[in-house]
Amino acid sequence: MSAAAEETVAAPPRRRLRLALWLLGRSFSSMLGLFLVTVIVLLALIGPWIVPYPDHVAGAVNLANKLQPPSAAHWLGTDEVGNDILTRVIIGARISLLVGIGITFAAAAIGVPLGILAGLAGGRLREAIMRFTDLFLSVPGLVLAIALVAALGPGIVNAMIALILVWWPGYVRLAESKALSIREEPFIEAARVAGASRARILRRHVLPNSLSPLIVKMSMDIGQAILAVASLGFIGLGAKPPTPEWGAMISIARGYLPDWWWYAMAPGVFIYLAVLGFNLLGDGLRDILDPRSNRG
Amino acid sequence: MLGYLLRRIGLAGLMLFGLVCLTFVISNVAPSDPAALAAGPDAGRSQIEQARRDYGLDKPLPEQFLRYLTDLAHGDFGRSIATGRPVGTDLARYFPATLELVILAMALGVLLGVPLGVLSALRKDGPADHATRIFAVSGIALPPFWFGLLLQLAFATWLGLLPTSGRLSVFTEPPDPITGLLLVDSLLHGNTALFREALSHIILPAIVLSLPCLASILRVNRSEMVEALRMDYVTAARAHGVTPWRIVMVHALKNAMLPTLAMIGLRWGWMMSSTVLVETVFDWPGIGLYAVSSAIAGDFKPVLGVTLIVGLNFMIANLVVDLLYGVLDPRLRRA
Amino acid sequence: MTQDISRRGLMAGAALLTAGMPGIGMAFERDGNRKVLVFSGNQQVPVLDPHVRYDWSTRMIQQSVYDALLKYDGDPPRIVPWLAERYEVSPDGLTYTFHLVGNAKFHNGDPVDAEAVRFSFERGLKLNAGIAWMLKDFLKPENIVAVDARTVRFTLDRPFAPFISYVPWWYVVNPRQVMANQENGDLGRKWLTENAAGSGPYRLRRFDANTLMHLDAVPDYWKGWPMADGDRPSGIIYRIIREAAPRKAALQRREADIITNLTPDDIEQLSRVPGVVVENHKGSTTFGIKFNCQQGPTADINLRKAIAYAFDYDSLLAIHNGAAVLMTSPFPASMAGHIDVPGIPRKDLDKARDFLRRSRFPNGGIELEYVHVQGLEDARRIGLALLDSLRALDIRVNIVGQPWPTMTSRGSKPETSPNMMSVYVTPVGTDPDTVAYQYHRASWGLYYGTAHYENAEVSRWIDEARGETDNAKRMALYARIQAQIVADQPELFGMVANRIWARRDYVQGFTFSPVRFTGEIDLYPLWARG
Repeated sequence: MSAAAEETVAAPPRRRLRLALWLLGRSFSSMLGLFLVTVIVLLALIGPWIVPYPDHVAGAVNLANKLQPPSAAHWLGTDEVGNDILTRVIIGARISLLVGIGITFAAAAIGVPLGILAGLAGGRLREAIMRFTDLFLSVPGLVLAIALVAALGPGIVNAMIALILVWWPGYVRLAESKALSIREEPFIEAARVAGASRARILRRHVLPNSLSPLIVKMSMDIGQAILAVASLGFIGLGAKPPTPEWGAMISIARGYLPDWWWYAMAPGVFIYLAVLGFNLLGDGLRDILDPRSNRG
Repeated sequence: MLGYLLRRIGLAGLMLFGLVCLTFVISNVAPSDPAALAAGPDAGRSQIEQARRDYGLDKPLPEQFLRYLTDLAHGDFGRSIATGRPVGTDLARYFPATLELVILAMALGVLLGVPLGVLSALRKDGPADHATRIFAVSGIALPPFWFGLLLQLAFATWLGLLPTSGRLSVFTEPPDPITGLLLVDSLLHGNTALFREALSHIILPAIVLSLPCLASILRVNRSEMVEALRMDYVTAARAHGVTPWRIVMVHALKNAMLPTLAMIGLRWGWMMSSTVLVETVFDWPGIGLYAVSSAIAGDFKPVLGVTLIVGLNFMIANLVVDLLYGVLDPRLRRA
Repeated sequence: MTQDISRRGLMAGAALLTAGMPGIGMAFERDGNRKVLVFSGNQQVPVLDPHVRYDWSTRMIQQSVYDALLKYDGDPPRIVPWLAERYEVSPDGLTYTFHLVGNAKFHNGDPVDAEAVRFSFERGLKLNAGIAWMLKDFLKPENIVAVDARTVRFTLDRPFAPFISYVPWWYVVNPRQVMANQENGDLGRKWLTENAAGSGPYRLRRFDANTLMHLDAVPDYWKGWPMADGDRPSGIIYRIIREAAPRKAALQRREADIITNLTPDDIEQLSRVPGVVVENHKGSTTFGIKFNCQQGPTADINLRKAIAYAFDYDSLLAIHNGAAVLMTSPFPASMAGHIDVPGIPRKDLDKARDFLRRSRFPNGGIELEYVHVQGLEDARRIGLALLDSLRALDIRVNIVGQPWPTMTSRGSKPETSPNMMSVYVTPVGTDPDTVAYQYHRASWGLYYGTAHYENAEVSRWIDEARGETDNAKRMALYARIQAQIVADQPELFGMVANRIWARRDYVQGFTFSPVRFTGEIDLYPLWARG
């Protein structure tokens, strides 16, 4: 770890970036991931301006036009209240992306400080934090999230709260192990002997060294969080109507199988591609940033 | 070793207690009136109050919690509010279905994941490697509920090759349970027709459930194998004229065993939890479906029960893996 | 059952051949020479005890394994004699005397006598669950007397006109079997959860709460069978398939002979399938959106009226593909005493804006909560239609799905009751009191009383009508009640959706009765031709 890390830290920023891009470009699957993520982010950013029927997002009801098969006017057909599926799926990218990023960042914001604290403090405090984390880690995530949302009431915010609650322990584990391993490093010892303050050690050494695995994990987690929110939506515990959330769309579309099978296709493909993109990107980033920890 | 074991079991017990507390808190944050659910839609106030007494919901929360704990200690999971049925009985009925599904999915994951991982490592950075990598990531990225629906559409609705849902056909009376696992029981009864029928029902949900597990086993094996192939002794073996095939079989696979085992342990509990989605899609009468339908109805005792059972599985799996690690890898014993 | 298994073994191949060719395939299930009919719906049967629980699926099975003194039959529903061959009412409306048939037997051979009837009513009242609410306030257990082996007498505390309309739901259990299985004085409650002690046309063969119920026909059923002896099915399976798509597939592949819980969009689809007949009947379950009449913006009657005039009622019909009728009164059309209330609101935006101007929110600009039972697709879609309709008044709608107990808990107090709550109500009998009483002050806070509607006059009329023994006077009271409720607009009166089943064309003996619940049918007359 130390050799690679120091090397990365030592290299000048621009060269590092070029190296990273080169490494990334060399791998087909990473490029695919980057491409997919870019597309999803673009859709999320400019979605409202490119969709064919912007008023179908907030739930326009046009029952005369319901459940139409794909056509020139509606490329992906219409849903059970006559809304354009393409429009809703594109706007769905916005929601899923926001939720995925939100959950991941919130989980990291809770987990990383706790983990670093545990790693640096050691002793009783570490034991307490880690046992608490283990408790949450040993909880069946999806089942717990379902129970939570069912108790709090469905809705995108409650789904996020539930998922953040089951998501943060992973970051404690990661940050703790990094902090722990760095604590033992000679250069930290040296810095400490040289009189560097705790905060300075934290800022200058611990954080930068934890950053690579953190970025990798977060990239993967955004994908997994998108999937988790969609899962809750599928069970019927996600976004409230008329919010166009992918999982909720599939949940409704399921009632129209097999005769209106195209309804369920688009949202599923979008979930798949979004999650695939973030995972491939995460994989690629790991190969570059954190080559030694290439484990399942 | 024994001390270590006892300490681990003690910790697991402590965590289980934490889990009970956690789930109990969750089930009581909802501003809901379980007694109204228990009494039924048309019930008047007198019946609602009767139900409140019947279920002990008139007691203060700490007392309810204490009672739940004592009941749990006696193996009693309480009664479902919505149905009035004992949760323990229901769990006993549904758990074997989930167990069967998870075991089969796990087996599929190992049987396909290990060879594909090896293949990917041997053809590192080649097209086959990229293909398997994308396949592996797909296994994690495919929404299981959606993929399940696709398989149902393709194999049940359009091709008519396999049944859509359930464990057995409506007309088939299940055999007397021996293990509760239909595939095993049908063989024990010597009934191959029943075995085929059970297999045709379980295969689609098992495939869907196995994908993420397959993917992680594949990835672990690939990276282990890549590293193993770089090791000095492999290079030396190769120099001594040992065929690559033998190297893979003997040395490298042996190395891959430990991480695969760890992955199985990690994924076991995880699958018990994610089976919720698969069971919902395939109408599979397991604990996942039980938990979801209860949660949607606002009936929390079954959700509590399922959470505990799944949590217990998490802990046991972790414990077993840790112990096996300790046995197989002496370096870790000190830690 | 080995025969069945071997047939299933062929299934994969057969299904492949016949997937695109419905009509050519294997015949329905056989047990020896007789058929086993398969009915599929989405709801489980967790507790079979007839005095503890009822809902559509549960009662369908209860009706098959148990008998009651009287039975509902047909459309319009009539009450026909069953275990009782006749009954008398005293002129003061207090004493009901039932005379039992002589030949009724429980499945174990015990006779169904007056003591069994007395015991069953007493048990229902004592358990104070399920059906108890129907009679609890008017009948004390000690006032039920077995006069002789074939005569039972009920003496009510005060006249209660709807009494007879509830009797068909009080099933008779075998006291000897029940008490033999009593545990800790539970009156056999635990045992009857998964076991039956009845005298009905079917007996319980297999009980699997979440998967299926298997019933065997009783060949020498005391009442006899409506079909020719050779046509009598050997049994009926109620199969729980939660999702609509697999359920439809099961019907198309003849794994099920009759199914229910279909979406409106399925009707058209299925009626085109050869060999499938869609049963589409006018129901009695009213759908309304209850306003909170005490607290919040909807306490303002002008706002309630504005919403009622802004709502697009045609969307209700469109959502149901035309398989629904709009309500013309708080009562469903199948109910005795129903009138078409003149001037019940229909979409009229000018009137809506007019009422809005007179309300506290002349320009809208508010958000209202619309709560429906989590997972109910129709209620969700109606919420979307409401949201779309109220845009014209610049009123936003927050559509919230919640679990049933959360909804009822919120609705129990005016302070927490949502602005608008979608509620389906199925009248449990044919008596107008069943529906009218939900607008009584005493119903405040119960799930059908979440509007917290207050009109002292209406409450008084309802009480009067309950005790009125002159039918004409009673019906006149109900006409006044209906008109006044519409004028007060405590809810948005929606529609009554049709009841829909799809069956194979060889299924005979299907009878519809609006008094049963959505999905529920009488299994007794069903058989399969061919």
